[in-house]
Amino acid sequence: MQLIPEYREDLPRVERFNFVARMTHWGHTVTFILCLLTGLVLFLNSGADWLAAIFGGYNGAGLVHRIAAVTLTIFLVIFVIFDFKGIINWVKDLLRFGKDDIIFVMKFPLEFLGFPVKMPPQTRFNGGEKGNSMLTPTCVILLVLSGYIMWFPTIFPAGLVRISYPIHDIAMVLATFMVCMHGYLGSFHPGSGESFWGMWKGTVREDWAKHHHAIWYEETYADKTDADSDAE
Amino acid sequence: MALKTNLYDVSKCTACRGCIIACKDWNQLPAVIEPFKGNYCTHEDTNGDTFTIMRFMEYEEDPADDVKWHFLKYQCMHCLDPACMKVCPRHAYTKTDWGATFHDPEKCVGCQYCTYACPFHIPKYRKREDKITKCTLCVERVEAGLTPACTRTCPTGALSFGDRHELLDYAEERVKFLRANGFPNATIYGKLELGGLNKLYILTDTPDKFGLPIDPKVSSTIPAWKDWIQPYVGWLIPLALAGSAFSFVTTRILAGKHEEHAEGGHE
Repeated sequence: MQLIPEYREDLPRVERFNFVARMTHWGHTVTFILCLLTGLVLFLNSGADWLAAIFGGYNGAGLVHRIAAVTLTIFLVIFVIFDFKGIINWVKDLLRFGKDDIIFVMKFPLEFLGFPVKMPPQTRFNGGEKGNSMLTPTCVILLVLSGYIMWFPTIFPAGLVRISYPIHDIAMVLATFMVCMHGYLGSFHPGSGESFWGMWKGTVREDWAKHHHAIWYEETYADKTDADSDAE
Repeated sequence: MALKTNLYDVSKCTACRGCIIACKDWNQLPAVIEPFKGNYCTHEDTNGDTFTIMRFMEYEEDPADDVKWHFLKYQCMHCLDPACMKVCPRHAYTKTDWGATFHDPEKCVGCQYCTYACPFHIPKYRKREDKITKCTLCVERVEAGLTPACTRTCPTGALSFGDRHELLDYAEERVKFLRANGFPNATIYGKLELGGLNKLYILTDTPDKFGLPIDPKVSSTIPAWKDWIQPYVGWLIPLALAGSAFSFVTTRILAGKHEEHAEGGHE
C-alpha cells in the first residue's frame, strides 16, 4: 500500500512554495509538536506521567516547552522578515474566499472519505486550506502572545494574565485539531498527497496543479511558455 | 475533624510584627529587605520568602489629630474552597482535614497559575527554587499538637487558634462589644467570604479600610477553563486523529472501487 504518491521527477513540475515558506513550515512542525507534547503534560492535569518522563520530568518538559516556543517564535520572525511579500500574497489569496470555496468545503466530507467528487476550480489555496490558513496561524499567534504573558506575568496586568490560561488552552486545542487534519490531508490522504512534495521539495506536478488549483495555475503559469524552467 | 482556624483580632493588635519574625524563624525564611517607602510597612506584599506581613494603612480622621493606622496581618486565607487547588495542574495543593490549604513544593513546577487564580494574590514565586511558596498554617506544628508560630508568639492575644465554630462564637461576641464601644462598623471577615475562609478576622472597620476585598470573587474564567474547556474541548484532538484514521481506511477501500483514480495516488 502506497502512503504518499511517488515524487515524479520525469513529469513537468511547477513551484508551489519557496525556501523561506518551507523552512518556516517545517520549523513550525517540529517546534509545534514539541510544544504540544510538553504542554499536554500540564493540560492533561498530570495524568500522563510517562509523557513528562520522556522530557525528563515535569520541570524538564517545562524547559523543553520554553526552548521550543522561543524557536517557534524565531521561525515566525524569520518568515515575516524574509518573505513578507509571501505573507501578503497568502493573505490576499485568503481574502478571495468565495462561492467556489464554500462549494468545496460543503463537498469536502465526501472527498475526505474517498468518494470521487467534482470540485469547482480553486485558487492557490482551496476552501479547506483557506480555513486552515486563517484558523491555525491565528491560534498560533494567540498561543505565542498568551504564552509570553504567562511566562513573564509580572510585567503584564493581572487580568490579562488570568485570561491567558483559557486562551492558551482553547487556541492549543483548535490549532492541534487543525494540525492533525492538515498533517493527514497533506500526506496520507490520496487526493491531496501530492501537496506534500509541494512543501517538501517545493514543486508539484503540473497536471496536479491544473487539476487541483486551476485558477492558481492559470494565473501563475499558464501564460508562461517556460513554466518548467520557472519551477526551480 | 472540626476545622481549626486562626483568629486575628485587629482591635488587640499593636503591629509589633512579632508574628512576621516568628513565621520567618519557624519556616527558616531569609530576610527580604525592601527599600523604605515612606511608611511603616516593612513589605508591600507577601513574597517567596515572606509568608505573612503586617500592613499599615494610614488615615486621618481629623486634621488636628495625628495620623492613625489600620493594622492588618495579611497571609494566605486558607479558603475552604481554594481556587489555587482548583487550577494547579500538578495537584500540589491539598486541603488538610482540619482546613489548612497545604502546598507541596516537591510537586510544584513554578507555573504560577495559582498566583493569578487566588483572589488575594497570595501564592508567590520563589525564583531561586522555581517554586511557589505560601503560608502553611504551620501544618506540621498543628498536627504535632502545637499552635501556629505566629499565634504562639503574639504578645497581645490578637491571634488565637482553635476550633473554627468556637472562634466564630467568640468573634460574634467581640464584634458586638466593639460596635457598642466606639467601632460601629466592626465586622467579622472570613465567615462567609468565598464560602468561608479558614482564617478569621475581627475588623474594627469595613474590610475595604484594611485593603481587603469586600466581596472577594474567584475570576469567572477559572470555572470556564477548568470545568468546561479542559475536560470537554480537548476531545477535539482525539476526534481529529480518529477522523483521519477512519478516512485513511475508507479512501483506500474506495480507491479500489474507482480504479481510474488510483494512478500515483493522484485522482
